[in-house]
Amino acid sequence: MPASSSRTDKGGRLTRWLVTLPPALFLVVFFLIPALIMAAASFREPGEFGGLAPLAERGLSLDAYRFIFDDVIYAWIFAKSFAVAGLTTLLCLVLAYPLAVLIVRSPKRQRDLFVLLVILPFASNFLIRIYAWMIILGPLDLLYRPVAVIIGMVYVHLPFMILPLYTNLEKHDPALLEAAQDLGASKWTRFWRVTWPLSLPGVLSGAALVFIPVLGMFAVPELLGGTGDLLIGNLIKEQFLDNRDWPLGAALSLVLTVVVLAVAGVSSALTRSRGQP
Amino acid sequence: MKRGFWLWAAALTTYAFLYVPLAVVVLFSFNDSELNASWVGFTTRWYAKLLGDANLLQAAANSLLIAIVSSTIATVLGTMAGISLYRWRPRFLPFLVLTPVAMPEILLGVSLLLFFRQVLDLTLGLFSILAAHITFSIGFVAIIVRARLTGMDEGIFEAARDLGATSWRTFTRVTFPLIAPGIVAGFLMSFTLSIDDFVITFFVAGVGVSTLPLQIYSMIKVAVTPEVNAISTLLMALTLTLIALASRFVPDTLRKSA
Amino acid sequence: MKLALALLLSILACLALAEDTLYLYNWNNYISTDTAARFEAWCGCRLKQDYYSDNEEMLAKLEAGAAGYDLLVPTGNAVHTLIRKNELRALDQQRLPHLANIADAYLNPWYDRGNHYSVPYATTVTLLGYNATKLAELGLPIDSWALIFEPEYLKKLKGKVTVLNSQRELLAAALRYLGHSVGDTDPEHWQAARDLILRAKPYWATFSNSTYIKDLAIGNIWVAHGYSNDMFRAREDAKAAGRPFAIGFAIPKEGAVLAVDNFVIHNSSRRPDLAHRFIDFMLRGENAADVSNLIGAGNPNRAALPYIRPDVADEPAIFPPPDTRARLEMLHDLEPKQRRLMSRLWTEIKVK
Repeated sequence: MPASSSRTDKGGRLTRWLVTLPPALFLVVFFLIPALIMAAASFREPGEFGGLAPLAERGLSLDAYRFIFDDVIYAWIFAKSFAVAGLTTLLCLVLAYPLAVLIVRSPKRQRDLFVLLVILPFASNFLIRIYAWMIILGPLDLLYRPVAVIIGMVYVHLPFMILPLYTNLEKHDPALLEAAQDLGASKWTRFWRVTWPLSLPGVLSGAALVFIPVLGMFAVPELLGGTGDLLIGNLIKEQFLDNRDWPLGAALSLVLTVVVLAVAGVSSALTRSRGQP
Repeated sequence: MKRGFWLWAAALTTYAFLYVPLAVVVLFSFNDSELNASWVGFTTRWYAKLLGDANLLQAAANSLLIAIVSSTIATVLGTMAGISLYRWRPRFLPFLVLTPVAMPEILLGVSLLLFFRQVLDLTLGLFSILAAHITFSIGFVAIIVRARLTGMDEGIFEAARDLGATSWRTFTRVTFPLIAPGIVAGFLMSFTLSIDDFVITFFVAGVGVSTLPLQIYSMIKVAVTPEVNAISTLLMALTLTLIALASRFVPDTLRKSA
Repeated sequence: MKLALALLLSILACLALAEDTLYLYNWNNYISTDTAARFEAWCGCRLKQDYYSDNEEMLAKLEAGAAGYDLLVPTGNAVHTLIRKNELRALDQQRLPHLANIADAYLNPWYDRGNHYSVPYATTVTLLGYNATKLAELGLPIDSWALIFEPEYLKKLKGKVTVLNSQRELLAAALRYLGHSVGDTDPEHWQAARDLILRAKPYWATFSNSTYIKDLAIGNIWVAHGYSNDMFRAREDAKAAGRPFAIGFAIPKEGAVLAVDNFVIHNSSRRPDLAHRFIDFMLRGENAADVSNLIGAGNPNRAALPYIRPDVADEPAIFPPPDTRARLEMLHDLEPKQRRLMSRLWTEIKVK
């Protein structure tokens, strides 16, 4: 647990505000207020020509939420999207872990190069990389199928798993592993009992940075997916860009955000309950 | 430490997965065909065309500029947020920092546009894009920095204090070098998020201000020509150069880890 | 460093404002670079374009407050909406001497009586494009929506058909096939259309708004539901690449959706004078013809006809003969309640 409570110097309080205030202020202005505007929008009626109906005219309504909870189809889409996000996260973890371990075990010079090589593909453009996948998957007859969507999602989010994992693994004390080895533990036991638990914060951070964006993504299913691959991100996008139904789009987004925060809250509580490794 | 055969094999598989599409991108930038579909023949005309395409170049320049500026600011603010989340855990901060990450981008985009136009009555342009990019990047940096700090040996901080270091000294000589890899990772992540962002930029970009993703999206119907591959290849080469140069000149203390 | 950047940015911004610049918000690929360059030379000003791929996209951005565009190119129903929202600036017809070039059939449309706000620019039809060689081989009809809706034909096309990712367009095609109007709002007819679509869906590869052009042109897809000008492009691309097949496109006999795209001036326009000059420039026959010759769109401008390539002018899918025209309908906007119903229908179509 942090030892800040034992601080006695007056600089402590000032430091705390100096460090916390700038990001907090920025986010309040550029995130919280706009988000509240949109949250409020979900309680309004759609405008006659699209957008939002004037508040004075139509007042507030729960129509959008009623619409969502009325039909099980929306729950189904949420469930499906979570499944896709979960699978993507898992695959990212499997692909990222060995790479992160390799980077950490490498000498300093090589380490920087390896990290750079992870980032580099993403200096090109998202769309062009998806197009490249279309070129690759087309002849393999894998295009316009669920597997293409998964490949695309994993590909796009891989560095978001590699980086947090790497920064966490990097600070593991090698002495711990040596001690385990001296005590006769096998390679697998060393990994499972020492490395893995220590890496959990990194794993969970990476998982959060993959799982959540996957849920909101619409470009990958739209370009690589077939006819049955609608995810919640597509649904939300449709409300704003095809259907002019902002209240419904805002409501769906709000429900999504709440569910995600709940999941994050649960996983964070789980981490804390494990105690510090 | 040992890097056995299986580790290399697994890691290289991941690298291969990352780079195969890239190889296609670079290869097809030399493709002698309008369509980005199948290989026809070798040519460098797309690079020549690129040099004459003011719109695409301007968009790429905008993207680069926005990425550098927004990631720098986001990294600073995000690191502060990450430290604060770890040390003092103010009640409201996790929500504030994490929700932009949790929210669908399209919602952020539309809400920011509404906010800029109807509340601030701001003319959209580079500033609106910068503000938007910083907003969504702060959370990512904070999460990484916090993960880096979690599980840190508290003894180090106590030792520094026992030895008489002020909190500022503790920060610069102890904390900062320890979290430096996290900061760098956060910066890199913000950079890639920004340079590649489409959805949010789509909504908050001003009239006539284009970024590379927007420009490419606008070409989408016309079938993305190899010109786009060319500029992607050049961007990667440029990023590679920039980062290589940066690591040369960055002082060694920054690169030191625990 | 940041100060220098800010300074640089503001200088650049000032420079941009100082020029005579016209901001056009247009469909992708709807004005060729040649035409734009000619206009810039003629007026001594700059034309800056931003693009959208769908009316809804453009309307969404305007709704959220995007401003600063001088010209937009909305389709009829979008013009109607923009007028009702008071977002358009009335045209000064005195400054448009070439307005008389427009064919009578396109003057005084339902969405803008008297043409107070809009000037028609181009027309497209939503139809079926196909790999003519392959379809002849398979002995399939090319003149009916049955091609994408009937399993007996779809069996031979499994995985080789794409349809538009657009609720209105796909439903319109289904409604026409079932013998209803595209503007029909009877919930039972919508259910029937939905069932028709769900029955055909397993044979379709994907919903696509733009990649079908490329897919058709390289032979990955054999039938695509899309826009006439896109099919034109696919045909030209396939020819240019020397493919061993030919692309064709035709308006199904049951009827289809006609879209008329128009120039309008947004009321936040800073240079309505330049905007008027642009519109008049584009009304001249030789300039108006570009959209047909280079892009394959239909043309509401009589004076353009002499300048249009014969192979485009004679193409019945681009310039439909009167009997086909009678079976074309334009889409009208829906009421909010209907939009929500359609949204749910569309979700069901996508998920089931």
